[in-house]
Amino acid sequence: MAALGAWGSAVAPARLSRVARALWAWRARRCLGQDAGAADGGKAAKPSFADEAVQNLLYKMTGLNLQKVFRPVKKELKPPKYKLMTEAQLEEATRKAIEEAKEKLIMPPVLNEREPIDDVLAEDKFLEGTESTKYVFTDLTYSIPHRERFIVVREPNGVLRKATWEERDRMIQIFFPKEGRRVIPPVIFKDEHLVTVFQQDRHEDILNMCIAQFEPDSPDYIRVHHRTYDDIEKHAKYDLLRSTRHFGGMVWYLVNKKKTDGLLIDMIHRDLLDDTTSLITLYHMVHPECQSAKEAKEGKLQGVDLIKVFVKTESQKEGYIQLALQAYEEAMATSTAS
Amino acid sequence: MTSHTPPHPGCPPALQHPGSTQGHPAPPVPLPGSALGVSGERRYRGEGEIGGLGGVPNPSPPPPKNPHPSPPPPSTEYRVTYGNKPVWLGYRRNHKGAIPPQRTRKACLRKGKPVGNPCPICRDRNLHVDFRNVKLLNQFICPHSGVVFHPTHTGVCMKQHKLLTKAIEQAQDHGLLWLQVPYVPVPRDDFSNQHPAVGKTPPAPVLAPGRPWYPWYEWQPPPAAAVARMRRLYKDYLKEETAPPAAGTPPDNPSTPSVEHRGE
Repeated sequence: MAALGAWGSAVAPARLSRVARALWAWRARRCLGQDAGAADGGKAAKPSFADEAVQNLLYKMTGLNLQKVFRPVKKELKPPKYKLMTEAQLEEATRKAIEEAKEKLIMPPVLNEREPIDDVLAEDKFLEGTESTKYVFTDLTYSIPHRERFIVVREPNGVLRKATWEERDRMIQIFFPKEGRRVIPPVIFKDEHLVTVFQQDRHEDILNMCIAQFEPDSPDYIRVHHRTYDDIEKHAKYDLLRSTRHFGGMVWYLVNKKKTDGLLIDMIHRDLLDDTTSLITLYHMVHPECQSAKEAKEGKLQGVDLIKVFVKTESQKEGYIQLALQAYEEAMATSTAS
Repeated sequence: MTSHTPPHPGCPPALQHPGSTQGHPAPPVPLPGSALGVSGERRYRGEGEIGGLGGVPNPSPPPPKNPHPSPPPPSTEYRVTYGNKPVWLGYRRNHKGAIPPQRTRKACLRKGKPVGNPCPICRDRNLHVDFRNVKLLNQFICPHSGVVFHPTHTGVCMKQHKLLTKAIEQAQDHGLLWLQVPYVPVPRDDFSNQHPAVGKTPPAPVLAPGRPWYPWYEWQPPPAAAVARMRRLYKDYLKEETAPPAAGTPPDNPSTPSVEHRGE
């Protein structure tokens, strides 16, 4: 598969598969609860993670390195298979591989933390003293979604209340086990053990485990993701997540926290100017009131000018970014000259 | 960690002294320096970036100390005994016939006495099977497929094999050992949490504070017709009463056997 090297560079086709578009549109319609918090008094509602424009930008920045998406993993050893193909067949196989890769690069949703459940349904005081343990009643109807499943708890003092989110997750995992998820979350998700994982550069692994274990709006999921992104940003290991489904979430987090400088420098070092402009466009979409957004809108700046304006007004590491830009421009000049 | 192991077995990376799992005062692992080639400044633990953040609502707390600092290198004794080879290489089981039994012996220490030809772990008192002892555990995992070797392959007794599997699983849980993460596709549920099963439901009006859940939890005045009927039935036995009790208050009953009042 040496010909795949042609596709190995970060070529990001602008067109997305129908499946991915359908998913995002569906999610954008469904996640009304998240978009309902529109900016009061702002000209436009604050863009959310599920918006089409935002998703397009994040998808472009993620890149599509087929060698990384389909890299070999440790599994049961089998003898290798060889296929003899014509050019046309090879192109067909590459196209199918790109479709599959796009499925794998669908970004997991970024949601706000869920509200705790503390509704009391009944208080039957005459039951007090009859039982010594809590009873959890779970509705086991097979065909309803888990979020519509009623799970209630009868406490020993007679109170009948809805189960909390942790109790719900545990019960649903006991009765409807999901692959890769444990009833009690493993110890690796505690902060002290995350440090060990980060030192082995296994950020992608821990994020995949997090997706398998927790719901996207649970506080543990959000905490693990934020710790991972903070660690990546601290050590500038952005390339670990490129061409994975987690890159979009990381960029969204950094843009919201205004910590984009390290990422900018990394992109300029790797000569990804298009990604730099997408990042700055995204920044302006999320923070339209900032100085560089206004200047860019007035001047309708493109490319390197946009970066320079952004660097002057918004970034904290001006010197480094300008150094990197200079190095890039010199490299471009020498390459065009030679 | 072991991603570049050569294909043939018996060439694991340099081993630690497996006996040093207890609290050795090893120096804490220094945080890897910033990989940014351009910014050469020191990164202090707990500080995200230079220039100050100013106004970040929830800065993440400084990362906790690493509970598993890297262990000391293998001792001379270990190197002399095993060199670079795994601990079980060269061990030969004793059995009748050409085909070894599909299970190794149950344990190497029976009633406190060791058997002849103990297994590779039981024969060396300095080898401790512990989840922190990653280099020893790695010798019992295939570097290519990631599965634990069968005890007939390594020769360990069944008891040690069980301890090994438990230690490997614990190490994977703590993040010390590599673990194959299954691919789980992105969940596609409706995350709006509007359904009453998970959303807020207004509490029943009966649950307002001060009101009892069932009306009969509190004393209710009996219907006047029933009171009148009882009076008529027992009018010959009625005691002299100065005044009937005020409507709405429960009468005092000192002579009746005590009935435990719920909720009092």
